[in-house]
Amino acid sequence: MKVITLNATVTESNDRDAARVRARMKRSGTLLINLMSSPGAGKTTLLSRLITDMRDERIGVMEADIDSDVDAERIAALGAKSIQAHTGGMCHMDAGMTEAALDALEGDEGDLIFLENVGNLICPAEYDTGAGLNMMILSVPEGDDKPLKYPLMFKESAALVISKLDALPYFDFSVEKCSERAEKLNPAIKIFPVSAKTGEGMEELENWLRERLADWRRN
Amino acid sequence: MKIEVFETKERVLADNESAARETRALMRERGTLLINLMGSPGAGKTSVLSRVIPALGEFRIGVMEADVDSDVDAKTVAALGARVIQLHTGGLCHMDADMTRRGLDRMGIDGLDAVFLENIGNLVCPAEFEIGADLRMTVLSVPEGDDKPLKYPLMFTIADLVAVNKLDTAPIFDFDLAAFKARVLALNPKAEIIPISAKTGEGCAELASFLRSLIEKRRRGE
Repeated sequence: MKVITLNATVTESNDRDAARVRARMKRSGTLLINLMSSPGAGKTTLLSRLITDMRDERIGVMEADIDSDVDAERIAALGAKSIQAHTGGMCHMDAGMTEAALDALEGDEGDLIFLENVGNLICPAEYDTGAGLNMMILSVPEGDDKPLKYPLMFKESAALVISKLDALPYFDFSVEKCSERAEKLNPAIKIFPVSAKTGEGMEELENWLRERLADWRRN
Repeated sequence: MKIEVFETKERVLADNESAARETRALMRERGTLLINLMGSPGAGKTSVLSRVIPALGEFRIGVMEADVDSDVDAKTVAALGARVIQLHTGGLCHMDADMTRRGLDRMGIDGLDAVFLENIGNLVCPAEFEIGADLRMTVLSVPEGDDKPLKYPLMFTIADLVAVNKLDTAPIFDFDLAAFKARVLALNPKAEIIPISAKTGEGCAELASFLRSLIEKRRRGE
């Protein structure tokens, strides 16, 4: 698995970089989704499920990590286009780094590209990557108080996937309380309780993603 | 235009190192043990404190809760009878030595045997910033997966103690404890790894024992 090393650019023009990424994705008709969460919330597992389920869409994945290529290898094993990027220790991706990762895809952009961001509930929310959509995951084992403690990511995301739903019997997690807290921060947030393991809730999420892709291409 | 980030970072880290050294000296002089408690959001840092503080009831314990927002954690810990302050980092994703020192001065360490800094939920940034702790303790929970040492190597390289929490959920997750331990030890052969469940109490006596011996050593001036 080829790994590319990214250098973060300390510049006032992240917004400019982000606009350039967005324009590029408009031209290619590709919806770029910035997927964020804590470590271990299930980003790669969710992507694996989406790739397996959504057979009519060409999905590519840019894996951003501090180290290792285990995630990109998992995606590649499913036959999807994937690249592994190392952030040089940075705890988040910015638009310049996203652009470099897109270049590594070598024009093979497809319908949907997921940027699997570094596992972190704080820093990724602060940086516009140029994505067409921000999507976050909160897993049942993490607890329903996380919107109180890490409000920015909930504010910045169009969708909240509540993952590991099959684990509900083992944890004190209220989907209702979590949803209320998230909606208080971001009334427009769409909430998808799912289990990538059992498939529960996945159809609703997949249909929503298809609608977002259609919207992206229409406007 | 690309600006060279790394020189700046080196300077920031060097200043932090020097502040951390001062804190370490202060804690030693006062006979108080400082523990930097780290882990992902939701790994169970506060839950572990909820077990450990009552188990170490013979000692006087202080807790500095560091969060981006909210005071839910400070309230939980206050109910255990520990001296607590809630720190808000203004959006910053980690505590550094300077902020820690200010927190210690604010809370006051007189009469305390141990202070826990419950750091921001984050497996990346806190590992880069020394706070002047005597013990670096990382909580990693079973649902997060056994591959986390591969993906966040620095956090596991610097951890003196790794508590593997939510052990009671092992039956429903694919967590290979032996593989996890091997991965941690490959990064840090001296790491102490203690599997626990803050929910059921399993392993918590062993964890408390480990901490007790360090607190006692510090009281003896070691």
